[in-house]
Amino acid sequence: MIRSLPLGAIALALAALLPAQDGVTVYRNARILPGGAPAIDNGVLVVGGGKILAIGGADTKAPNGAAVVDCAGKTITPGLIDASFRAGNTPDMNENGDEVTPHLRVLDSLEPADPSFVRARSAGVTAVHVMPGARSVIGGLGVVLKTHAKDPQAMVVKHDASLRIVMGAEPSMGNRAIRGGSVDSIYYRRPTTRMGVVWAARKAFYDAKEALEKSADAPPATPSPGVEVLTRVLRGQVTAVTTARSEQDLRTALRLAAEFGYRTVLDDAQDAHMLVDELKAAQTTVMLGAPSATAIAGSAGADGADPRSVTARLLADAGVPFVITTGSNAASLDLVREAMFAARNGISSARALDAVTIEPARLLGIDQRTGSLQKGKDADFVVWSTDPLDPAAAAESVFVDGIAVQVLR
Amino acid sequence: MLRCTLLPTALVGLAATLSAQDLLVRAKTVVIAPDAVLADGRFLVRAGKVAYVGQDVPADAAAKATAIDCGDALVVPGFVLPPTTLGRDRDLAEAALPFTPDLRAVEAFDPWHEELAKLPHGGFTSAILSPSPRNIAGGLGALVKPGAGGGSVAAPDLHLALSLNAAARNPERPPTSLMGAVDLLRSAFAQAKSSAAAGPDVAVLHSALQGNRKIAIAADTLSEIQQALDLARDFGFDAVIVGARDADKALDRLVAQRAAVVIGGLAPEMRLAQLQFPARLAEAGVPFCFTGRPDQARLSAALAVRHGLDRKSAWAALSRAPAQMFGVAGQVGALRQGCAADFAVWSGDPLDLGSALRAVYVDGARVHGELPSAAANPASSPAAGVR
Amino acid sequence: MNAMSLSAPLLRSILRCAVAAAIAASPVFAQDLLAVKAGRILTVSGPVVEDGVVLIQNGRITKIGKQAEVEIPWAAKVIDATGKTVMPTWVVAHSQGGMRNFNENMQNVPWLTVGDAVDPASPYFEDCLRNGVGAIHVMPGNQTLLAGQGMVVRPFGRTVEDMTIAANTGIKMSLAAGGSGRLQQIRKLRRAIADVREYLADFDRRKAEFDKEKAAGAIPADKKWTEEVDRTKKGAVDLVQKKAKGWLYVPSFAELDEALRLAQDLDLQVVLGNNIDEGVGLVKKLGKPVVLDDAIEYFETDEETQKEKRFCSAKLLADAGVPFALTLGQGGPTAYPWWQLGTCVRHGIARDKAIEALTMVPAQLIGMGDQLGSLSEGKLGNLQILTGDPLQATSWVETVVLEGQVVYERSKDPRLQYLFEAEKAKASKAAGPEKKETEKKDGAEPAKAEPAKAEGGKQDAPKSGNGNGRGVR
Repeated sequence: MIRSLPLGAIALALAALLPAQDGVTVYRNARILPGGAPAIDNGVLVVGGGKILAIGGADTKAPNGAAVVDCAGKTITPGLIDASFRAGNTPDMNENGDEVTPHLRVLDSLEPADPSFVRARSAGVTAVHVMPGARSVIGGLGVVLKTHAKDPQAMVVKHDASLRIVMGAEPSMGNRAIRGGSVDSIYYRRPTTRMGVVWAARKAFYDAKEALEKSADAPPATPSPGVEVLTRVLRGQVTAVTTARSEQDLRTALRLAAEFGYRTVLDDAQDAHMLVDELKAAQTTVMLGAPSATAIAGSAGADGADPRSVTARLLADAGVPFVITTGSNAASLDLVREAMFAARNGISSARALDAVTIEPARLLGIDQRTGSLQKGKDADFVVWSTDPLDPAAAAESVFVDGIAVQVLR
Repeated sequence: MLRCTLLPTALVGLAATLSAQDLLVRAKTVVIAPDAVLADGRFLVRAGKVAYVGQDVPADAAAKATAIDCGDALVVPGFVLPPTTLGRDRDLAEAALPFTPDLRAVEAFDPWHEELAKLPHGGFTSAILSPSPRNIAGGLGALVKPGAGGGSVAAPDLHLALSLNAAARNPERPPTSLMGAVDLLRSAFAQAKSSAAAGPDVAVLHSALQGNRKIAIAADTLSEIQQALDLARDFGFDAVIVGARDADKALDRLVAQRAAVVIGGLAPEMRLAQLQFPARLAEAGVPFCFTGRPDQARLSAALAVRHGLDRKSAWAALSRAPAQMFGVAGQVGALRQGCAADFAVWSGDPLDLGSALRAVYVDGARVHGELPSAAANPASSPAAGVR
Repeated sequence: MNAMSLSAPLLRSILRCAVAAAIAASPVFAQDLLAVKAGRILTVSGPVVEDGVVLIQNGRITKIGKQAEVEIPWAAKVIDATGKTVMPTWVVAHSQGGMRNFNENMQNVPWLTVGDAVDPASPYFEDCLRNGVGAIHVMPGNQTLLAGQGMVVRPFGRTVEDMTIAANTGIKMSLAAGGSGRLQQIRKLRRAIADVREYLADFDRRKAEFDKEKAAGAIPADKKWTEEVDRTKKGAVDLVQKKAKGWLYVPSFAELDEALRLAQDLDLQVVLGNNIDEGVGLVKKLGKPVVLDDAIEYFETDEETQKEKRFCSAKLLADAGVPFALTLGQGGPTAYPWWQLGTCVRHGIARDKAIEALTMVPAQLIGMGDQLGSLSEGKLGNLQILTGDPLQATSWVETVVLEGQVVYERSKDPRLQYLFEAEKAKASKAAGPEKKETEKKDGAEPAKAEPAKAEGGKQDAPKSGNGNGRGVR
């Protein structure tokens, strides 16, 4: 009796220290790239209850009785984060009734069962930032989602993560001048030119600024919901993301932001390398869209000038913060391939991988939860067959919140 | 042409009413309601309603009544067709404007419409005429019935028809996207909740929110259904989801929010999960029914039975459930005392596609088919041969 | 028969064939001696040679071996690729690159040839050199019935004749439905081939009659049979008589049945679009290697579970034991050999097999298996020098040698220089505020002048660009 008592006490004490045995898995012998930290060879990753419990070298302690997976020869990275993701190509992503609809939420149009989430998962992407389509000048509020959850409601990581503004010709496409269509059509309206696009954006912000100044004196009667969202942007409570591709549009985006005093993130930004100093001065982060999209001598996009292959390297050299995305016009959702192309064109592999993991997490403000392999964060990770930036690498196992969403082997 | 055949029937019907004769309906099996089946049952019809059922039929009334002896047939309550435009989509879809909750389907009701007259051919005795889902807030639906002398409106302004499905999103008029449609409905409901004095359209929403009317929302994809359920939850009403093509993926929420489902029609080539959905709904206690064209609705019920739905629930889905879901359970959908005398005489279980429909009665008057004269009560004169 | 009776186009095409034959017979630049020393030599046909050297003379490989064992002639020009990888240039077995409009709007046009459409100045050929492609089999497009002749070209040369390695390599045929529908297309192709057979039968019958009548004395003995096969039908006639190969594009497994049937009659090379998973058995029945379109990965949704599965056509063929050749796309990731090969390996195909699918197999299929596709003695001296392993995204092609001549060097590639060096200089000069305007102008000009460049990075090649701005394509 007396002999067993201390043992029992030790057992109880241990039980109190260790997490529950159910669902704890240990991944050993892997090469771990934690994201934003140096690589660990022969590393150990311990996950349980949907969270990362421990990470370290071969001597990392793991609880007894946990399942062990030998990952010899494999590489483990955080789940990838696509900061500009095209979720489904349906007409619902664009509210064509009005060019300026800041209050609409793209989450209301999203189909949780959309195949694009499945494809993203199979490519190792565990979180995405979805914005309204590019047909409106100010399309509405974006949302950050995990690519999988038991319940579609639980997919949301951050509501109202961004307000999308689009510069360039795209919002004016489809609007007709009087000769082109019937006068009764809702598409017979401004803008049909870049001038009109910028006018629409400027007017919206002007109204919001007025309302902001007025509310300082007297509270508004019933603020229009759009103005309410724009005032939040002006106050810095919602991030403005401006999609602009050519140099001209990028400059316009910065000019608009400076005029009304809000900070903006630039999306797609194919020509960003042409105004590196302005970007630095404005402390702007760039969401680089699809470095793979243009072969060097192939045709550029409708709004683009030079191929975008070199942009990442030039931004990196100049110290402008950037992340790599598939771009909301992407034909494929293979985010790691974009990182490959960026690495090919001059940035280091580590930087390329960070640009699709921890950097977008920081940019989107979700880095407390995910984006790197750290104790306490969500168990979002990928086991690759080899180095992820090797074209032959396959995402063998993908985990979102500790749930296996793809297991190839 | 149709009117020629109906006119004599009208005369007969008129004759029957003028004579103010009760009807005593008797059959080998009488289904009062899916959970109340009478073997060798009978019920008394007076002034178009069911006056007494089974043992309660007073002997003297039984003796004076005209006997309708259905022999070895099965008598079931007439089926109720849930929200449908009865093919009158053009008149029931105000396409130019997305938001017209104060429009009333009853204003577009055509008593002589062919589709209405064909309802009895599938065993249906009433339908819920609804504004089309092509409009985000289409308006108010009504309970209508076919009749010997033309159709009639049994209950106007029954439910509020809303729509979030693809038909409601029209690229030629805003809102063109689901997020725009959701925003439109939310702001309208928010307005309605705060005050009723904001115009006739918002007043309709206000009244519905007070519980005075059922709210039906057409939604097919999972996102549309989620949005509809979010609206119901946030504004405190029990939603009826119409169409519900992908609702099998949202069963948990339907149960949790006590929603009801109108399934837009099953077909053999659908996904297995869709075909098994009615059975799961029955297990979970979620009320549901089928809509579509009359023959389609019956086929859907039969398919559901083939994939695991029990027969009683299938019968309920065609009769009592839609009546309850739309608040007319006391009027139609069952043959209880006080309900309208809407019933159909089948040679066998109506869910067996081999069963033949013998006759259909609406409000106690025969509108379709004919019973063999030998089955009539020998004491009274043979049933009028004019059909 | 005097030359006047030959029409000008016919004369031109005879000349072109002669020139092409001459060029094919001997390399463009003769009498040169080249030695390439490399850290790794991937011969493809044999084992990897570490610290090896390749000797090329008169455009052909004369020796491959370890540097320690092979003596380099003192007169040889030496390229030192120490630490780098050398391998044969890629061979693309089927491509529409380098042409602007590659689908004629009439469907049955066997008398056409891609030689009339290939543009030596096309940026496609520049990209080929950047990616290490040494031979491309250019063929008409897929929206056709019986299109014209293809040809194998090298991505280097100022004229089509300079570029031609082999002309008249086969007639393009296609079962792609276009506007009409699958059954219509099959019927039209059958009809077209039957028409040619009827024509030939009729031709032979009339010739036989002529001979008979001549023998019977009804026709004077000195009168000769002058009728020739209609020159617009000649390509199709050669196909039917199996004197020419047909290259049949098969868009999906649904058309494989017909392809099999046609392959029994004619000598056909099948080019497969994607979406073949159901038809792998039929492909196997062909009993020959196939060429795969550039898109080899695709998704299919299970109707019932709505689950998506990713397929790779190359893997399906590899599993079924069917040899195949890969091709490269014209834009996007599939234009890069490392991406295509990486995709194959990612799906489980052995690395060596993937490399062969873009070298030896296509070389054989275009009838040049003894000249191209691997580094072995006697074959053409076509090789590429890479900064690293060919299947890595970060490896770049530094040098391309075609038939013993250096035709591409990355350090001298104006486009890449512009992108990497000029931009870098701009970025670092960005400190000066007034320089912004001038830099913008400098940056803009090369972009406009670019289409006028005929070839990039080639040694001793005078600029042939016509300054009238070929411009927007």
